[in-house]
Amino acid sequence: MVKIPSIRHVRGFDVARPVSIGVVLAIMLPLVILPLVSIFVVGMRRGPGFFWASLLAPEAVYALKLSLVTSFWATAFNVIFGLLAAYVLSRYDFWGRNAVIVTISLPTAIPTAVAGFALLALWGPQGTLGRFLFPPEGKQLMFTAYAIILANIFVTFPLAFGVIKPVFDTMSRSLEEASATIGATRWQTFWHVTLPSLRGAIVSGALLTFARAVGEFGSTILVSGNLAGHTQTAPLYIYAKYNSGEVGSLEAANAIAVVLALLSFVIFSVLFFARDWLELETQEV
Amino acid sequence: MIPKMALASDVDQHVSWAPDREQKTGVAASVRGLSKRFRKSRVLEDISFDVAEGESLVLLGASGSGKTTILRIIAGLERPDSGRVILHGKDVTDLPARERGVGVIFQAYALFPRMTVERNIGYGLKIRRRPRKERRETVDRLLQLVQLEEHRKKYPWQLSGGQQQRVAIARTLAYKPQVLLFDEPFGALDAQTRVHLRREIRGLLRKVKVPSLFITHDQEEALELGDRIAVLNNGHLEQVGTPDEVYNHPATEYVATFLGAANLLLGVITEQSVEIGSARLPAAKETRRFREGQSVKLVFRPEDVCLSPDANLPEGCRRLANGVVEEVSFVGSYERLNIRLDLTHRRQNQNEAPLYQVTINTPERMTGVPIIVTRPKPEANATRYRAGDRVAVGLTSFSVLPNYTLARQR
Repeated sequence: MVKIPSIRHVRGFDVARPVSIGVVLAIMLPLVILPLVSIFVVGMRRGPGFFWASLLAPEAVYALKLSLVTSFWATAFNVIFGLLAAYVLSRYDFWGRNAVIVTISLPTAIPTAVAGFALLALWGPQGTLGRFLFPPEGKQLMFTAYAIILANIFVTFPLAFGVIKPVFDTMSRSLEEASATIGATRWQTFWHVTLPSLRGAIVSGALLTFARAVGEFGSTILVSGNLAGHTQTAPLYIYAKYNSGEVGSLEAANAIAVVLALLSFVIFSVLFFARDWLELETQEV
Repeated sequence: MIPKMALASDVDQHVSWAPDREQKTGVAASVRGLSKRFRKSRVLEDISFDVAEGESLVLLGASGSGKTTILRIIAGLERPDSGRVILHGKDVTDLPARERGVGVIFQAYALFPRMTVERNIGYGLKIRRRPRKERRETVDRLLQLVQLEEHRKKYPWQLSGGQQQRVAIARTLAYKPQVLLFDEPFGALDAQTRVHLRREIRGLLRKVKVPSLFITHDQEEALELGDRIAVLNNGHLEQVGTPDEVYNHPATEYVATFLGAANLLLGVITEQSVEIGSARLPAAKETRRFREGQSVKLVFRPEDVCLSPDANLPEGCRRLANGVVEEVSFVGSYERLNIRLDLTHRRQNQNEAPLYQVTINTPERMTGVPIIVTRPKPEANATRYRAGDRVAVGLTSFSVLPNYTLARQR
């Protein structure tokens, strides 16, 4: 861990330290910490037995599984594409290069509902392409798990790219040149030299993408059709349960919310604490 | 330390790190007529030189002189606009870097950060799909050669600069390179380590006998590392020669001034001597290649000047002129004097004593030509000079160069 150097401004006890830390925590408490704590409180309200029961309800399990699987494929695609795009865009200069970079980054700035709507407008039964490929009476692409993957890919598109590209840009060319003079082909150089140096960026890019995809709501609710046990992801499940008004459904929604919150917590802990481990071997290079 | 050294040299007697070749042609690497432009600017112009078998050649030039471009062209990392690169008799100009088999030691060493020392060294053989046993043996021998056995499992960032450099060299030796190319090998190190490492590398190269090309802007480094030195200026070669040749007999003014300090005086060839203002320096041998009346430059090093308080200059020292000591300063290991030569005042009469009219504030104060002289300590202690002393000035060694008005005429 990095040791934080500090400057002493005052003699004796420095009152600024506890006060400033206290202010930060006091602001975070109602805005971030308490809301998170209350999902645990509400989720556990009817006792751990009920918590487990609502967690293991077939629809809940299905929703969690669907979320994880669709997020996994979206992540796999975006990491591989991000790697390729970062390589191409940092190694080659071509006409329209900057336009491509801006376009790749665009999905972060677009509201997710718009993203979902855009997918429907293209692939939906009345969509510009969907009209011919997936007519209303035939098989649909929208309102399936594939549509969820498409939506996840769209909204998390620039995340992995955004983490990998700067590493590519700052990577010393002489490593690849050294590998070439030693006798390696381009592919061998990429595999043995370039890729290992990107390990940290790939892992953090993947985790970021995954965390974002698991929580995606706005676009999925539009493209998935939100059919329980069929195309209902975990966030949609929470929303559906909250709206249903049945007895105990609030606690059921909370049980899933607890799982999602814990998952995000784990992912971001890994991102934070694994940073040292991931960057360790690139020090002083 | 000592037994390990003995071990290391034992190893080398059995193994050659130079490429296996049937006949030794004498020339390991040569470039012929290399030219290169980047956009509008000319980077290299008609560069040709050879690196002999087992030789170390230093390309010496200021930054921007094109020396790195030459190295990159030989390595195959850059394409020349015209000219050929020949390695051991084979034209490799059109081959990509990976098929040339040269070893490049990059400025920051470019060790693979995610590989241990032994995997870095073994990389060339792994790429060449050599059997595991051969790979392990070669790596072991190289680790012994560069004395890094106890560091084999470490990562590059855990090593000192000098150790990293040795790994970089071992990594190229593993595949028996045609030629070793060193890009400013000591640029990233402090002055002390630099001197130490340069001796170490010199010793290592003597053992492995792989022809090497060094690139540097440091003249001291060039003189120490090179069997021969090629001086590069603004994209063209000024002179190629042994350290003695380029230092003591510079072919051009640039070489004279780039390799250490040099005094420059303008003169004219007159009757087998160089006439500089009122002075005449006899130089039958040095002036042979010039015609009578040709404008020349007299170039001499500060340490090649001899001084005398009277007219009796030591044996082997040709008299140049009289002068006045303007400043004496001690610069650590030697003494430096600024002397103003009396070259413009008047010509000395035939029978006049050499130090006639000994007065300060003679016209040379204003019109004289300043030169710099250095003397070793024993000499400085034997005869002390102070500012204002008048001295006779002679030269033990100098070169006469044509004085072109335009650099183009070279």
